[in-house]
Amino acid sequence: MPSRLAVIHRLFVVGLAGLVLRLAQLQLIDGASYRQQAEQNRLRVIPEQAPRGMLLDREDRQLATNQTVFRVAAIPQDLPKQSGASKRTMVGSRREVFERLSRLVHVPPDELESRFEAHVTVPFLPAELVDPIPKPLALRIEEERFALPGVVVESVVSRRYPLGPVAAHVVGYLSQPSSQLFPLLKEYGVKPQDLVGRSGLEGELDPYLRGRPGGALIEVNHRARQVRVLGSRTHASGQTVRLTIDAQLQALIESQFHGRPGACVVLQPTTGEVLAMVSVPGFNPQAFADQDTKAVQAYLQDQRSPLMNRATRGVYLPGSIIKPITGAIALEQGVITRHTTFVCPGYIQFGDRRIHCWKRDGHGPVSIREALMGSCNVFFMEVGRRMGLERLRAGFLSVGLDRRTGWLLGEAAGHLPSRRLSEGEVAMLAMGQGEVLLTPLQAAVMISAIANRGWLVEPWIVKQVGEHRMERTHAVPLGWSPDTLDAIWEGMDAVVNDPHGTGIHAHSPLVRIVGKTGTAQTHVPGKTHGWFVGFCPYDKPQAAFAILSEYGGSGGDLPATIGRNLCEYLAIAGRQAVETAAVPADSP
Amino acid sequence: MKPPSLARDLDWPLMLAGLALSLISLVAMKSATMTLNPDLAVKQAIWAVAGVIACLAVASVPYPRLIDAGVFGYLIAVAALLLVLIAGTVKLGAARWVTIFGFSLQPSELAKLATACVVARYLSIQTAPIGMREILWSASLVAVPSLLIFLQPDLGSSTVLAAIWFGAAFVAGMPKKLLGGLAAALLALLPCAWMILKDYQRTRLMVFINPGVDPLGAGYTIIQSKITIGSGQWLGRGWMSGTQSQLSFLPERHSDFLYSVVGEEWGFLGSVAVVLLFGLLVWRMLKIAQDNSDAQGRYLATALASWIAYQAVVNMGMVMGVLPVVGVPLPMVSYGGSAMVATWVALGILQSIRRFGTRF
Repeated sequence: MPSRLAVIHRLFVVGLAGLVLRLAQLQLIDGASYRQQAEQNRLRVIPEQAPRGMLLDREDRQLATNQTVFRVAAIPQDLPKQSGASKRTMVGSRREVFERLSRLVHVPPDELESRFEAHVTVPFLPAELVDPIPKPLALRIEEERFALPGVVVESVVSRRYPLGPVAAHVVGYLSQPSSQLFPLLKEYGVKPQDLVGRSGLEGELDPYLRGRPGGALIEVNHRARQVRVLGSRTHASGQTVRLTIDAQLQALIESQFHGRPGACVVLQPTTGEVLAMVSVPGFNPQAFADQDTKAVQAYLQDQRSPLMNRATRGVYLPGSIIKPITGAIALEQGVITRHTTFVCPGYIQFGDRRIHCWKRDGHGPVSIREALMGSCNVFFMEVGRRMGLERLRAGFLSVGLDRRTGWLLGEAAGHLPSRRLSEGEVAMLAMGQGEVLLTPLQAAVMISAIANRGWLVEPWIVKQVGEHRMERTHAVPLGWSPDTLDAIWEGMDAVVNDPHGTGIHAHSPLVRIVGKTGTAQTHVPGKTHGWFVGFCPYDKPQAAFAILSEYGGSGGDLPATIGRNLCEYLAIAGRQAVETAAVPADSP
Repeated sequence: MKPPSLARDLDWPLMLAGLALSLISLVAMKSATMTLNPDLAVKQAIWAVAGVIACLAVASVPYPRLIDAGVFGYLIAVAALLLVLIAGTVKLGAARWVTIFGFSLQPSELAKLATACVVARYLSIQTAPIGMREILWSASLVAVPSLLIFLQPDLGSSTVLAAIWFGAAFVAGMPKKLLGGLAAALLALLPCAWMILKDYQRTRLMVFINPGVDPLGAGYTIIQSKITIGSGQWLGRGWMSGTQSQLSFLPERHSDFLYSVVGEEWGFLGSVAVVLLFGLLVWRMLKIAQDNSDAQGRYLATALASWIAYQAVVNMGMVMGVLPVVGVPLPMVSYGGSAMVATWVALGILQSIRRFGTRF
């Protein structure tokens, strides 16, 4: 008889045992996973963007900055109820709030309602209503905030390049981090959709410019309403970076190329400051910041490589612009003196090989001055022959060839031959042909050494990062005598200022410019790169420059013209600066 | 006959198990209702005290008279259930309450007690062995309130009445072939049952099979309940410290899902303790049934034990996601005044059976 009661009891005990097993499964075996799910239920991170540091030129003109766009949004959990007056706020229903806002932003309340409904996600995150609004209106809405519960004015920070493509290669661009880069940046709070610096200074100085994003960890309830803030960190803005670049000079030079490929570097010859660094064709970094994929694709597919910084990464045959250096080395080595004269019959003979001067009928008897002025190949080949490879190589190395200038922006090192060369090849090297390649930046450093009378300076472009002044002049003495430098200066002066000089297009009535033209052979037959290097003013050089026009023909044409224009700009700007400084501070 | 001493005659394990469960309920309720409505814990405490008093009062009355009262109560319950259907208070989409003198009462709780009495009496007065006729008659007695409750709609409570009937009928000697027939009939009725279920009930059953079908709707409760229990791990997150319950991720946490809060805040150890207390409680109830030589008392004790056992297993199974969410409260634990008092009265009836019954 009691067996049936026992059956019921056993059924019950089996049921309880099943429950205990299930408890063990939920709490002991899968407990950790459920605990994690519980944490995910309640924790939310609200990120706070850190504005990126600005990039300023030497005159504090903005090359890269941030634009704050204001927009109006509503936080669902702070808005009054759909209808009926709220006792607490005394401001009535949600509808009334939208009507009040409508009068300020001139958007119909129904439209505001529908935008709110379209954008609302979770109660603690703002739903966008009007985007963008002008700043005065943003302030007006802030003033009315007590009548507009739940309505907030949000600011969204985006990267702006006020000067557009000016100095684009120096500034660089932003993009989303690549899959290789992202794991490294993740621990700094970078999210996959964030834009990080990828090239130029935006890339190289990214850790300083980036700042540190802030945010809050909040606890939410089942309706995703904020219960409390568990922790928060305020953002740290990125640091402002001040550059040595003169954006006006930069823009002027860029315009002078008229879109023809080329590059230009202007240095302050005694300090090594980079006043301008131009690479044409360029690009507009704004396209990257705005994630304008069409424009970015066009840049990437352009055969002329607009994204490449030709000033630091382009390597070119120097041609005749090497001649002042060859001359200086030869004078220092005692291979020639200021008065040594060679006769140029229009060619030079090496064994059974005859190499012609560019001037087929010859320059006649030339000293260093005339050889530079007329860019006589025969004179410098003769110098090269007499000097020999070792001394020439050592001299070239001393002015920074075949090695990075010690600087940034993905610089290329250029090239010098390391193998044994025939006598003819050495002679070719001495006049800048053959197996030698340099970047426009190296050319500018090289010419600075003449302008600053014998110091090899290291170029630099970052003046200040945040509060840290980065100014540093690093210069190595070359040990050149004043006589040597006078001779080279005299020759380079004649290039521009003698009616017979090859650089006569650079002659300016405003400022005394000295320089050297160059026309470098390329692998394309009949096509040459045009070079013009030099410095100004003659009395106290304030700028040394190297200008390259890719496949631009003769250095005496476009490059010399650009050289004149940039020097004239600097002369006028310098005069203005002097005049401005001369005006008493308290005058109107 | 010696004057019966209540204190000496009480089945103390049964009493203590009931008290322990009520106490656990109050402590867990305090935590579960902190952010909801702190008054609920106080109300529950008042109902528990009322329940214990009712239990002791009932225990002082010989159970045959209790059954007499139960038969009368059955009529009242059926009338009240009809009243609820016509003019009940709608809460949570179902009309289950009737308001008398400002109290919301759940007639279905009275129906459980009364039906147990009526079925026990009916089966005990049969002279012939229990056959098809008796089974059908007793089933009909249960079917009337059960159907009325089902129409409220309250699927859970209507199945509780079925469990009460089954316990009594089974122990009264339901023939084996009828058992098989019953099982077959249940299977055959399943598709029909599906047809008459309300949409939300169907969804609940669907969701039971796969909570993923509607994670933000009906499945939400099951998923959150499993997270709530599971996150308790060994020792729980501590009283008042369960994030799932304190931040309201768990719906119905003070009523049908209060056991999940116990799981979250007191962990595996606390949850198993509750399971063991129910084991003790039901074991004592079945022991009282077994020790009683009087059929009427034995059937009644079995019916009441089946009720508590069924509700305990179904509720805990449902919050753990192993049984469908049919809406059955956990006896003496879930919030509910009528249920609390009714359960304590049931314990009182068992004490009465133990005291006044004839033992083997």
